[in-house]
Amino acid sequence: MKYLLVIAALALVPGFAHAGPDAYVFMPSVTYGEREIDFKIGTAKRPDEDRESAASLGFGFGITEGWMSEIYVKYNRSGGERTKLDAFEWENKFQLTEPGRFPVDVGFITEIERPKNRDEGYEVTFGPLFQSEFGAVQINVNPIFQRNYRAAASNPMRLNYQWQVKYRWRPTLEFGAQGFGELGQWNHWAPANEQSHRMGPAIFGKFALGGRQAIKYNAALLFDVNGEQRGNTLRAQLEYEF
Amino acid sequence: MTSRKTPWLLCWMAWIVFVASPAATAADELEMTLVIKDHKFSPAELKVPANRKIKLIVDNQDATPEEFESHSLNREKVIAARGKGTIFIGPLKPGNYPFVGEFHDATAKGVVIAE
Repeated sequence: MKYLLVIAALALVPGFAHAGPDAYVFMPSVTYGEREIDFKIGTAKRPDEDRESAASLGFGFGITEGWMSEIYVKYNRSGGERTKLDAFEWENKFQLTEPGRFPVDVGFITEIERPKNRDEGYEVTFGPLFQSEFGAVQINVNPIFQRNYRAAASNPMRLNYQWQVKYRWRPTLEFGAQGFGELGQWNHWAPANEQSHRMGPAIFGKFALGGRQAIKYNAALLFDVNGEQRGNTLRAQLEYEF
Repeated sequence: MTSRKTPWLLCWMAWIVFVASPAATAADELEMTLVIKDHKFSPAELKVPANRKIKLIVDNQDATPEEFESHSLNREKVIAARGKGTIFIGPLKPGNYPFVGEFHDATAKGVVIAE
């Protein structure tokens, strides 16, 4: 019963959007001059709920050595409904330190999303991005803040997180784990049973196609470790760089 | 209840930023230079001391950009045409760390040898 009340409460607050099943882990580095077409997809299923799927298609460009900008169009699908436009998004990523110069590489992400459902206003996402490496092991940790402005209902700033650990085995196949979580209001976290925590195994890789062209991928199977707040999720990202 | 965790989170983030600050950087970086000319690296075998951080200046003397890429070094950086770029590597364990110029990978090949 309590579970149903929580779900109902979330559904009734239009601004309380959550990271969709196509969410991905932000990296703090930028490659100057790189252009990429970026496709992300994910699907999640909670018991007794419709399957929720989401996808996005984006184009990104490394404008300077420290700034990359990307625009997205996002789609979603719930249950047996047809796939529909969900939102437009503009993402800007800033590389704040040269990779490897310090023990921790630092970047910063900003996103502004305009959902098709105008009641959700504008969703603003921002946060620092951290990366470190120990030999062939790379670790990323990103605390992410998110809030909807000009939404039909007032809503607080929320705190999410994402992390990734990978062993860089071969260029075409690296493996590790990823995790995503939503803690609730940034300065007053939700009770533990209302938070969302998903984590699971992940694979990564890059295929060089010659010249400037390459295909990068990563995919993860995320298990909902906290009472099926979001359901188990399968997510993937495919990037064509040129 | 959990709001008490927020100050700890902020302290943790501040610590990370401090660790990444210039004040916390090891001062014993060794600066070395790698030249790109005619879509080849020179020297093609770059010997560096093991267990030291290296500040690698990549000097691209070609009229086209090049991308320094190395999976084993976990570095990827575009060097502008007739431009220079800085890449930090290491400290490395003794061994060989191949790299390529991704835009001209048929000729632009090299290896960092840490010893």
